Amino acid sequence: MTYQAKGLQAWLFQRLTGAFMALYILYFLWVIFTTEQMTYSLWLEWFSHPLMNTLTGLFFIHLAVHSWVGMRDIVLDYIPRDSLRLFTLACISFFLIMISLWMLRILFSLTL
Amino acid sequence: MEHASQQNSSYQKKARPKNLNLLSVKFPMSAIMSVGHRAAGILLFLSLPYFLYLLQISLTNEAGFALVKAEIQEPVVKLFGLIMIWSLAHHFFAGIRFFLLDLDIGIDKKWAQKTAVLVMAAGFLVFAVFSFILL
Repeated sequence: MTYQAKGLQAWLFQRLTGAFMALYILYFLWVIFTTEQMTYSLWLEWFSHPLMNTLTGLFFIHLAVHSWVGMRDIVLDYIPRDSLRLFTLACISFFLIMISLWMLRILFSLTL
Repeated sequence: MEHASQQNSSYQKKARPKNLNLLSVKFPMSAIMSVGHRAAGILLFLSLPYFLYLLQISLTNEAGFALVKAEIQEPVVKLFGLIMIWSLAHHFFAGIRFFLLDLDIGIDKKWAQKTAVLVMAAGFLVFAVFSFILL
């Protein structure tokens, strides 16, 4: 059992997921700021659109990978004691799995 | 072979410098920006459940959407939102700086400091603009 992505792989993941999320966020903000009055029906329609639904799902997969690599780096840097380090990493991965399942539930609850 | 590598790692452990007196360490702007990048990352990570909660409620039905709209008007939520907006903006700009550094752009010491200042300024600018809009 290993919790370390290899250095170069982790670095590459961080860049690729970061780039995807940056683009998604810019698109998200663009829609928010160009929509004059955001109503429930518009909001629901937007997130129910197959493309937006898929993009949001992808965004969350990228988010999970990105925050895992980032949080892992921070834990490895500041928590030298093995037991505490492993415990913290376990908590972070549990948190991320829960968040991802929750997000899937939200996305799947919308009828495409 | 294994013995040699063990010896090597214990040597490295001993030789690793430990300097925990933060006051004796110089913090150039790039260091402050980098700490900000990490802190912002942690804040974004920890705030995920709240944003998921807002998304879920807002998509449930008309009443849920109205509830979320009312909730984000609360002063405390606005303040929290502004902190998260700064976190996202700072994390975003610092990330772009990393991309550029990977491409060897702004890699020399003088420019690295200048772009660090730029990242800090851009983060605070976004914070200021949104403070103006939201408050």
